[in-house]
Amino acid sequence: MNDSNDVILDDLEIDTFKEIMNIAFGSAAASLSDIINVYVVLSVPNVKIMKSAEIADYIKSEAKACGYNNLVEQSFIGNYRGVALSIFPCGSERELLSIFNPDKESYIESDPLNELEMEILKEVGNILIGSCVGKMVELLKESVTFSPPRFIRGDILQNISLGDAFDSDHWAIIMKTVFHFEEKNISSYLFLINSHEVTASLKKALRNFWKEYE
Amino acid sequence: MIKKILIIDDSVTARFFIKSCIHDDTEYEIFEAGDGKQGVDIFKQIQPDLTFLDLTMPEMNGFEALNEIKSTNKDAVVVILTADIQKKTFERVTKLGALMLIKKPPTKESIHDALSKAQRQLEDIRQSK
Repeated sequence: MNDSNDVILDDLEIDTFKEIMNIAFGSAAASLSDIINVYVVLSVPNVKIMKSAEIADYIKSEAKACGYNNLVEQSFIGNYRGVALSIFPCGSERELLSIFNPDKESYIESDPLNELEMEILKEVGNILIGSCVGKMVELLKESVTFSPPRFIRGDILQNISLGDAFDSDHWAIIMKTVFHFEEKNISSYLFLINSHEVTASLKKALRNFWKEYE
Repeated sequence: MIKKILIIDDSVTARFFIKSCIHDDTEYEIFEAGDGKQGVDIFKQIQPDLTFLDLTMPEMNGFEALNEIKSTNKDAVVVILTADIQKKTFERVTKLGALMLIKKPPTKESIHDALSKAQRQLEDIRQSK
């Protein structure tokens, strides 16, 4: 059992981390916007510290998740070991798919996704996660290795697997943002979940980030 | 001549970074606001020579704040400093009357470039009157 003092960041560290995430989310939005030519409206990033056992419930409520969400999960390993989730909740995936296949007649939400559609969602999730985490570790002058993206359709509570780094009594740092695709009225949620193990490295990297401006 | 600078950004960190890049031998009077609404209020009170404005903010976002600032003073010199680097964002803020857009995080070079451009813009405005 680890102490919350191990993971608690002070207000300035949280603000700096949010600013870094803001830049990283901006980079991810630009990557996606270039690829699919849709304007992405960014939201103010949110950083929370909570017990691992609370993560799934938090994500479910924040992502307005329902019973059959589509999500892309990717782990990243390095000094910033963690898990990234890109979530397309409750039918929004159909709207998103229509960007790639505008000629297709309107989708019915209960239609199963075909393999190509799942691949498209996996790719979009992969772009968001890769650009975002990539930019974050670049700013913090670190590097990570990604696992291949995993596409999951189903209930978030049953399907989020946070791996060994997230024992239920461990603390985690969660970042959330919403990507809103303007012309399509679609929202996609991106969560980055860092294990408590990154805290010491993170604090050091945040200090170094500040030093560049002092 | 730039004397008063207003920085509108919800992040204390971002505001500190901008101030740190601004500081040189010139003594500017710097004002800060933590969201768009507060930024517009302070803008109306102090009428700064230059405003650095973030886009993704609570209360009132940067697009709305820029619109409001330009409605208050069409000659207001506003530099957008943002992580949102989409082409359409650049087009939108240009259309709303921003002088330029700087990508976050700022550097001394990007801020000094903005200060030079803002200075020229202020001189052009003065000469045209």
